[in-house]
Amino acid sequence: MNTSVKKLVTAVSASVALMAAGQAAAEIKIGIAGPMTGPVAQYGDMQFSGSRMAIERINAAGGVMGEELVAVEVDDVCDPKQAVTVANRLVNEGVQYVVGHLCSSSTQPASDIYEDEGILMITPASTSPEITQRGYELVFRTIGLDSMQGPVAGNYIAAQKPERVAVVHDKQQYGEGIATAVRDTLKDGGIEIAMFEGITAGDKDFSSLVTKIKQADVDYVYYGGYHPELGLILRQARQADVDAKFMGPEGVGNKDINTIAGDAAEGLLVTLPPAFDQKEENQELVAAFAEKGEDPSGPFVLPSYTAVQLIAEGIEMADSKDPFEVASALRSGTFETPIGTVQYDKAGDLKAFEFVVYEWHADGSKTPAN
Amino acid sequence: MQDLLYFFQQLINGLTIGSTYALIAIGYTMVYGIIGMINFAHGEIYMIGAYTALIAITGLATLGIAWLPLILIVALLCAVIVSSSMGWAVERVAYRPVRGRHRLIPLISAIGMSIFLQNYVHLAQGSRNIGFPALMEGSFRFGSAEGFQLSLSYMQITIFITTLVCMTILSLFISRSRIGRACRAVSQDLGMANLLGIDTNRIISATFVIGAALAAVAGLLLGMYYGSVDPLFGFIAGLKAFTAAVLGGIGSIPGAMLGGLILGVAESMTSGYLSGEYKDVVSFSLLILILLFKPTGLLGKPEVEKI
Repeated sequence: MNTSVKKLVTAVSASVALMAAGQAAAEIKIGIAGPMTGPVAQYGDMQFSGSRMAIERINAAGGVMGEELVAVEVDDVCDPKQAVTVANRLVNEGVQYVVGHLCSSSTQPASDIYEDEGILMITPASTSPEITQRGYELVFRTIGLDSMQGPVAGNYIAAQKPERVAVVHDKQQYGEGIATAVRDTLKDGGIEIAMFEGITAGDKDFSSLVTKIKQADVDYVYYGGYHPELGLILRQARQADVDAKFMGPEGVGNKDINTIAGDAAEGLLVTLPPAFDQKEENQELVAAFAEKGEDPSGPFVLPSYTAVQLIAEGIEMADSKDPFEVASALRSGTFETPIGTVQYDKAGDLKAFEFVVYEWHADGSKTPAN
Repeated sequence: MQDLLYFFQQLINGLTIGSTYALIAIGYTMVYGIIGMINFAHGEIYMIGAYTALIAITGLATLGIAWLPLILIVALLCAVIVSSSMGWAVERVAYRPVRGRHRLIPLISAIGMSIFLQNYVHLAQGSRNIGFPALMEGSFRFGSAEGFQLSLSYMQITIFITTLVCMTILSLFISRSRIGRACRAVSQDLGMANLLGIDTNRIISATFVIGAALAAVAGLLLGMYYGSVDPLFGFIAGLKAFTAAVLGGIGSIPGAMLGGLILGVAESMTSGYLSGEYKDVVSFSLLILILLFKPTGLLGKPEVEKI
């Protein structure tokens, strides 16, 4: 009896929504698109864990405009081709809001589809500046940009007054973008760039690169890319007695680098978003993660949580489920979220986002670098 | 002086990687030599060898065994046994039923097998990189100039020696043993060998098993050398080894060895003197050039039209 009343209520609200959004739905579907498998699946885990938690908590508190949020999870394997396939699948499922994707190279082609189909997308992890530079109306992020992260890393290295620096990247949108930003910052600081070159993602043999780094006699090596390659470079560099200090972006900062590099990961420098899980106002949320046996300390967990929360608050603020109206609500509003106060600029980028330099340790922990 | 040391260091790097390409390339070349098909699942067999070795090493470590030679022997045995059975099973399940059909059919079957095995390991072992424990650390140092020292790690020496031993055993096996002679006969003319009473099915199975065993050795060595494995590990290595086999002349065992070494050295010299970005460009241009002037590869025999 009770359920049939509920059904009636949702049916009524759905028919109201039908007029507003032109689509029948008794629930609000949120697509979560990220890598569940593949070499960077651990980042996907962070994304799914954060988004699921947000959906659970919002539903427990009564949902959005009286409707339940329902997650539609898809796996893009961090592969641009797969990203397009799953984006089309979300379109077919009638999803209007997407949290994702994770890898910049996947986010970019997928966002073309979302923009065309009138789907609002918030990426919790893609930092490539190009994603928001195409004048799209429905593309947002809850993370900073490479152009913010690169200078932080570059300035940190420059402040140590090294003589020569090597910059290496994986030739992918994310890695090369950030490595270029670091190189430019270092050049502006008058530091000599001994080498700037790309490797092939997926390669295992970096002995030639390591020999080259050794011969170039550099003080710092900056690597733009993800942990599977940097882990191997660190390990092979350690075996070849390279004594340079290594640094990487948030794409290398997770515990899997320790399984690959072992002790060689000690002392690695990483630029990461500040530890949101250490903030006082998030402790209640952190406890909720702990209760589920999940770890909220990964760099993308709380940004993913925030992405879902923003979609929910945007819908309520716009008082409409139309993604375009939600998008303009997001651009005009100020939101209090686990990653701090969120305000968007016209492009869909956060007005402020901070990156901090951490020192990574052999046991997978990190401490702020001085 | 430093330049010379640098050159030798890159040469050592190239020869190390090249010898493992050669070990994997043997599997491609032997199968091609005998039944004229390209076994695209061979890279996956190599990957499974690496995973098996890792599982064996981890298993021994949890039992508290730390004696290095024992760990290596057990890991090697496990890897060889599992990979060989896998090689045998793949041939039995995916290739034998379609043998003798249009040549594209076994090829597609091989590609399917490769995708199947890759995804199987994805599901069974997870898609993350798994780290190999560092078992053999340290290296010999030679000469020093302006802070640059030539180093030859124990692992690299192990790779050279193992490859050399495996190649010698294989050559002797092919040239001296009964099965080896049968292999040569089958590769010259399968139908005729069959008529003369050679159990060709058994010989073909044996070829797959030998190729898989060598791939397993390479899997163990490279897993330890690089320090991590993932389910896609076999695909790229397989592609490179296949290139090495074609470069050296597919069907020829010394050719696979030579092709592997040339490819490895070309790669390391390109990343050493040009840039890592051009590594694959240069090595594949080299392949095309060699095939333009010598279509059968360096040591391949020209195909004689059979009448």
